[in-house]
Amino acid sequence: MPAEGDPRQLLADSRRLTRRVRVARRVTWFPLLTLAAVTLAAIPIVRFAPLNLTCEPAANPSGATVCAISRPVAVFVYWPVALVLAYVAIAYCYARVARNRGLTARVAPYAVAGIALTVVATAVSVWGMQQALAIVHHQSASAYWPHWVYRLAGPDGVIGLALLVLAGLERHVALLLFTLGYLAVVLVPIRFGGGIGWGPTWSITASLVIEGGVLLLGGLGFLVAQRRSQRRTQRLAGR
Amino acid sequence: MSTPDPHPANGLDDVVHQRVRLGILTIAREARQVEFAFLRTQLDLTAGNLSQHLGVLETAGLIEVEKGYAGKRARTWIRLTPAGQTALADEIARLKQLISIVESAAGRPA
Repeated sequence: MPAEGDPRQLLADSRRLTRRVRVARRVTWFPLLTLAAVTLAAIPIVRFAPLNLTCEPAANPSGATVCAISRPVAVFVYWPVALVLAYVAIAYCYARVARNRGLTARVAPYAVAGIALTVVATAVSVWGMQQALAIVHHQSASAYWPHWVYRLAGPDGVIGLALLVLAGLERHVALLLFTLGYLAVVLVPIRFGGGIGWGPTWSITASLVIEGGVLLLGGLGFLVAQRRSQRRTQRLAGR
Repeated sequence: MSTPDPHPANGLDDVVHQRVRLGILTIAREARQVEFAFLRTQLDLTAGNLSQHLGVLETAGLIEVEKGYAGKRARTWIRLTPAGQTALADEIARLKQLISIVESAAGRPA
């Protein structure tokens, strides 16, 4: 049977072409670098506008302490706005790059998932603050969730979960492995010795540096890998 | 007496069962919409050769061809029709059946 009609060869060709389209669509470095920038840009906000918990005796016969949380700039302003803008920018970049390459982008589910998770995370943060106040007021200690739930529902967890969606959309094993590593850093958490005993503000800063650094290194790694792959393809085409 | 199932090779569509056209349909399915230049590069064809195969597929109703402009540059976009999706899925299924039959026959004792 000639190679033209060989079913194994035809099927192998089909799979190879499918994979080539998937690889041609990828701009993996852009979301990672964008989210690294968003994470690192949160550092001055956390440092100079941290969450403030103030407690004072209530003016009532019981004399119970009343606490309040103020300046949740990072939770209610920075992270929701920055992440939504980041996902919109990522979707635009993917669409533009795909168009230039002669394809259509397949990034909408990722951007939608990222924005939806951001909304959920903001709601969970509000809930978490209420839980913390309830603990302080000794009203409800049993409703406290495990720490990893709050970490998963935080902005860094949102970034990781949305990247899992992107890895699935792109059938990108390398991105999946990277994202699992990133989520391990977020959830365990892995701090490489930094932040422990530094106080809450510096501890959060250390987390942001580490997580932003992981995203930055990942983004640069994928960028270098993509450039090398493109040069290799051009060399083979030029032969 | 029941008639035996037809051999999958008998059901192959000559329009789809051709290396270049199968490649076009495969790329169009994965990409949803693909530009002419991308197809030409991936399939390593001349523009004329590719146009000929696209013409066959368009006549058979398996693809839609849309011509437009990106700035001043003319662009041709190819999209799979529902019939094209079905034809491609059928072709892939028959290829897998053929491979399975050949491998089963190879495993039988002489």
